Amino acid sequence: MFTDFRIALLFPIALTLAACGEPQPQLSFEESLQQQLIEAEPGDVIEIPAGTHELTRSLSLDVPGVKIRGEGMDRSILSFRNQLQGAEGLLVSADDFVIEDLAIEDTVGDALKINESNNVTVRRVRTEWTGGPLTTNGAYGIYPVQSSNILIDGSVAIGASDAGIYVGQSTQIIVRNSRAEYNVAGIEIENSTFADVYDNVATNNTGGILVFDLPNLPVQGGRNTRVFNNSIVDNNTANFAPEGNIVATVPAGSGLMVLANDNIEVFGNEFANNNSANMMIVSYHITGLPIEDENYDPFPESIHVHGNSFSGGGAEPDSEPLALLQQATGQAVPDVVWDGTILPGKTAPDVLCMRGNGDADFVNLDAPGGFAAPSFEIGPHDCSGAELPEVSLASGP
Amino acid sequence: MIRSLLPVLLPALLLAACAEPRFYEQENPQRLSDWNLFRDEGSRFIPREQTLVFAPANPLFTDYAGKLRTMWLPAGEQADLVDGELEFPAGSILSKTFYYPTGADGLLLESVDQENELDRARHRMIETRLLVRREDGWHAMAYVWNEEQTEAFLRVAGASVPASLQRASGVTDFVYFVPNENQCAGCHVTVHPDGPLHPLGAVAGQLTAAAANPDGGRQSQLQAMQERGWLDAPPAQSAAASWENSRADLETRALAYMNIHCGHCHNPDGAADTSALVLDGNHRNPLELGVCKTPVAAGGGAGDLLYSIHPGAPERSILLYRMESSELDEMMPELGRSLAHDEGIALIRDWIAAMPGDCPEPVRAFGNG
Repeated sequence: MFTDFRIALLFPIALTLAACGEPQPQLSFEESLQQQLIEAEPGDVIEIPAGTHELTRSLSLDVPGVKIRGEGMDRSILSFRNQLQGAEGLLVSADDFVIEDLAIEDTVGDALKINESNNVTVRRVRTEWTGGPLTTNGAYGIYPVQSSNILIDGSVAIGASDAGIYVGQSTQIIVRNSRAEYNVAGIEIENSTFADVYDNVATNNTGGILVFDLPNLPVQGGRNTRVFNNSIVDNNTANFAPEGNIVATVPAGSGLMVLANDNIEVFGNEFANNNSANMMIVSYHITGLPIEDENYDPFPESIHVHGNSFSGGGAEPDSEPLALLQQATGQAVPDVVWDGTILPGKTAPDVLCMRGNGDADFVNLDAPGGFAAPSFEIGPHDCSGAELPEVSLASGP
Repeated sequence: MIRSLLPVLLPALLLAACAEPRFYEQENPQRLSDWNLFRDEGSRFIPREQTLVFAPANPLFTDYAGKLRTMWLPAGEQADLVDGELEFPAGSILSKTFYYPTGADGLLLESVDQENELDRARHRMIETRLLVRREDGWHAMAYVWNEEQTEAFLRVAGASVPASLQRASGVTDFVYFVPNENQCAGCHVTVHPDGPLHPLGAVAGQLTAAAANPDGGRQSQLQAMQERGWLDAPPAQSAAASWENSRADLETRALAYMNIHCGHCHNPDGAADTSALVLDGNHRNPLELGVCKTPVAAGGGAGDLLYSIHPGAPERSILLYRMESSELDEMMPELGRSLAHDEGIALIRDWIAAMPGDCPEPVRAFGNG
């Protein structure tokens, strides 16, 4: 090519002509889509036509008030199976954002990351890793973080090596009518406040639904989440998260796990056949990780579990203390497991109230006592906990 | 005497006047040449004399590319000093041309020398990025050079350029990524998401170091600006620490390295504040640096490791793992490189290795993990 160039130099006039007549590079679908996203104006709708569109680089949007619309989550597919650059599929930092009716597949990292955005709607969007549950899959499917007024509706998340639908460090959240399957965590609400999670199906994940509060984050004090009318069944996929991540510690067979979060109302759900335990309430201490954050509250409190149906589960616990319990009793692990860690001065009902859950059984694992004296007494938790208000989003979709 | 010279000088003066860089307030022209920042002389690609070639004290790694940077302020305009920082006037244009020296068979070579001009016989230009100061603030754009090296075209959505780089360790095939305009903001907007886009190299602390002055180190680049009438007086700001300064201590160099490679996102207001890692070189609190800090949303980037920095154990530290990785979902920085930066890795490895202390071994009670 440099030889060509030197020849060109001998003919400066030809070179000038060539330069002036040089056609602009033709834009690929990918380039033209990214250019649309960059040059969009508030109020624009960017259409993704039906078809499988191959992309090699992360897409990103910074313009508020934009809607990205496909022709259906099974018809308009953004495929990143040949991705060469970027840590996510689509990265959004834009208020008043709507994305609907499309799929994002096989991204190397996160599929749809929405960072520091207010008023976000993700409707009928599918994020999927099509090769099944693999450690090499990207971490998160639908991933709003440090955002507010978030609606995730009618969406599908499959195959994430961390969480399929993950809402982190956010507030005012609704996740509904969605399906999470073959992820490590199906739906995870982490370090967030005021979330309603309802009418979802979480199945074949390692853990169906997680409500966590973790230390060392700029936004913590996770509280006020309602988990209701969900189907949380058969979450028994072996944990395939990369080691080092907090979800790598979640036992396979976890239905709903509440970790260090406060003010959680769990009602009207169907729990079935989650083979470590249908529901677990644990302190951060259970992770065995050090806590160097003075502002962090590692204890779960005010967990209110009522009117749920429990069946099966607890039959093949993927957790040493639960397996030991099963061996000792010869019975499946009870439906509701509490690790028994409690802030000094607090009582059992301060942590957990349970009523109207049919014949659901219960165990306090006595983790502080080295699991030596587990108690199956549900009585201390027979109390009526608080009913939390409905979450309403500041500006509806 | 004067009279007799005029007929000779006048055409030359006119030519020179025509050869001013040209500022566009509204549209971004499609061709780099429309800005008139450079002139071609045979195979040479030369910044116009009205521009100032500069180099920051603490440079960012970009796949071993060389960078030819120019600064231009419109005639009669000056930069202000606001809180000790340069505030360029509207009409200012900063440029940065990314290039590689070329070797046999069209292979690209690692850039070692700071060039004040390029020669197409010896260099291959990949892209020229502009930061243009308009009335409403800075605008970033990238122009990608054609194969013939005759022109660079505006590419709003960036570009992917396959390349082969020859280093002492061998030949590496990689894809050089020209950023799209949002990705420019990924580094140049340090207060996420609504902060202003701003220069990172043409800032007071980066221009103080005489050593970085391509004119030979006799004056600082701020003094050069002053000589051109672009600045009343140099700011009092001290020189930015440079990770390349082999006389500085390890920690100073490591923090300087993180400042320019991590701090654009990993600052208290940055896009990566979600991680609670503050790696902008101004924070030394161990937990903010990631000492014995477990990852949050690192995914595969955790590398099966537990702590961001494990003192004394670089091989158990996620920070180093992510610098060494070139996997898209693992590597850090996420943007601006396809290749690992061996010299930076060596620096951070030495720094962590020399760090006193230890992290606890977790006793995992619950999962079988």
